[in-house]
Amino acid sequence: MESSSILDSLGVEIIGVMAPVSICMFLVVLLTYSLSVTSDPQIRTAANLIYIENPSDSATVKLEGSLENAIVFVVLVAAVTFVLVLLFYFNFTNFLKHYMRFSAFFVLGTMGGAIFLSIIQHFSIPVDSITCFILLFNFTILGTLSVFSEGMPIVVRQCYMVVMGIVVAAWFTKLPEWTTWFILVALALYDLVAVLAPGGPLKLLVELASTRDEELPAMVYEARPTVSRSHRGGGGSSLRVLVGGGGGVLDSGSVELQAVGDGAATHNLDYNAVAVMDIDSVDGVGRSREGHSASSVSSEPSRELGSIGNRESVAEEEMSPLVELMGWGDNREEPRGLVEESDNIDRGIKLGLGDFIFYSVLVGRAAMYDLMTVYACYLAIISGLGCTLILLSVYNKALPALPISIMLGVVFYFLTRLLMEPFVVGVSTNLMMF
Amino acid sequence: MTVAAGIGYALLALGPSLSLFVSVISRKPFLILTLLSSTLVWLVSLIVLSGLWRPFLPLKANVWWPYTLLVLSSVCFQEALRFLFWKLYMRLEDVLDSFADRISRPRLFLTDKLQIALAGGLGHGVAHAVFFCLSLLPPAFGPATFYVDRCSKVPFFLVSAIIALAFVTIHTFSMVIAFEGYAKGNKVDQVIVPVIHLSAGMLTLVNFASEGCVIGVPLLYLVASLTLLHCGKMVWQRLIESRNQSGPTLR
Repeated sequence: MESSSILDSLGVEIIGVMAPVSICMFLVVLLTYSLSVTSDPQIRTAANLIYIENPSDSATVKLEGSLENAIVFVVLVAAVTFVLVLLFYFNFTNFLKHYMRFSAFFVLGTMGGAIFLSIIQHFSIPVDSITCFILLFNFTILGTLSVFSEGMPIVVRQCYMVVMGIVVAAWFTKLPEWTTWFILVALALYDLVAVLAPGGPLKLLVELASTRDEELPAMVYEARPTVSRSHRGGGGSSLRVLVGGGGGVLDSGSVELQAVGDGAATHNLDYNAVAVMDIDSVDGVGRSREGHSASSVSSEPSRELGSIGNRESVAEEEMSPLVELMGWGDNREEPRGLVEESDNIDRGIKLGLGDFIFYSVLVGRAAMYDLMTVYACYLAIISGLGCTLILLSVYNKALPALPISIMLGVVFYFLTRLLMEPFVVGVSTNLMMF
Repeated sequence: MTVAAGIGYALLALGPSLSLFVSVISRKPFLILTLLSSTLVWLVSLIVLSGLWRPFLPLKANVWWPYTLLVLSSVCFQEALRFLFWKLYMRLEDVLDSFADRISRPRLFLTDKLQIALAGGLGHGVAHAVFFCLSLLPPAFGPATFYVDRCSKVPFFLVSAIIALAFVTIHTFSMVIAFEGYAKGNKVDQVIVPVIHLSAGMLTLVNFASEGCVIGVPLLYLVASLTLLHCGKMVWQRLIESRNQSGPTLR
């Protein structure tokens, strides 16, 4: 067909975000299955501060203990987020960037290294320690460089974001079961409050960043669609026009985008995609999570090295559960004569790294039960993500990515486990299908 | 029975759908979204059905009529849901057409609509294969295998993979037939889809008898190939019609 159909490029942005999330979840499930990690109750992490779960405890004890764990975790996350907002407010941006690079190095080096070691042990891969160390070192350095540098190809950056999400999520799946579920739900609620409520730390952070026309110092996955130039007019903002209606494009949301495009230096335009919503970069949640995962790592080496130190801060910054929308506005920017720049800006959605992590934690925990729950939770999370993206195109400001997906995921997990499993297994083992 | 066997069973059930996915659906992001949403619809229908039947489970293994009732009710529910899915799709088609007008691009072609129906059907089929076959496969990756008493010639995993393949075909192509039937108001097409689904479900009940799978599975494949033929014939006719309609203009 010579004339192309609208179906060719519709929905490219959504798939650009869903594909890495799916890959991350799939790899975490594979890792969970192959390594068969059982939660080690001896490690005391920030997620386990009050109550260490023992499988032989009664249900009420577990309930109370897990609830306390979850509340303490959320409080810690919120505290660290506020510290981050303060630092950003007082313009310690360079410090934050260096800190983020350090935490990337740390996450990839120690946590990633521990996972690689257990893979090598499990599959009996013959590799000596010097080679292993050199390879790990190279891998880590490349990841650190890719976090904030501008010269890196975007694919490398995206791959490292996914790898970091996998590493942290694999660590989080070591938490005991009840604690994991309570923490997930508590974080989803915290995310909702932190991004949307007027005093929420993530909302403050986004506003600060947009008033100063700076990029948020956080780890975000940018999905840049590879839509060809000829489709630019139709493809780039197609979702927004589709959902928001034709006339709705030129409203207040777009003004923000234009302002950013004007003010920021060209090299910042790539990262400043303003309305990035869900980026986990908004550190709050993401950060604290990393902080906790960092402290869980530190508890092991601390037994060897004897220093717990300041690991808390490591992971936190990077993960903010926000989704941001980038560059949807080529329709408006063109009359302003910014066509060249808008051509250079890749349109895309930004998703925070914390979202990757917690989606994968949920699916990894479902994988410890059965494959059916994995698939049900995967579908629930993907549909929640789709809903969030559609809301993003309607409201065009930073939105929390966790609540809808996590709530749907938890609901579907328990429904599948309690209702669907006996039904389907009973029918299909008798070779009766429909 | 080792990783190779496990992957083999999985590919047996899902191989053709994987190739369909890679060649047709992965080219257009909208079709991927359609596939995901139809899988979700199937999952929700399964959850609702299991919620309804939960108080009666586990069913006794030797009596066949509760299973008949179960299959019958499930098929009826899913066919009703298919009709609702089509209604939703009609609304989506209107939205897409008005969007196409707004950005002055051509409206949805016939092939687009057929592709969307195919993606929807594939979503149903993949959901069926995953929940009824793949979710029981993890033991097959280990060192042993499993036989069911009623079908003792073939490992259980192999039989369920073969049945799943037949059902994937049936689901995929009956969705195309159903969408075209509802769109054109063609009674034959509208009726034939529930009939196919019901007969396929009933045929699996034949597996209940001892060594019934020797008869049941080939008959199931007969139904699947009938579905394929009918769908192919219908699509061919529609394409010829639309080409004749657009007349001398070259498309």
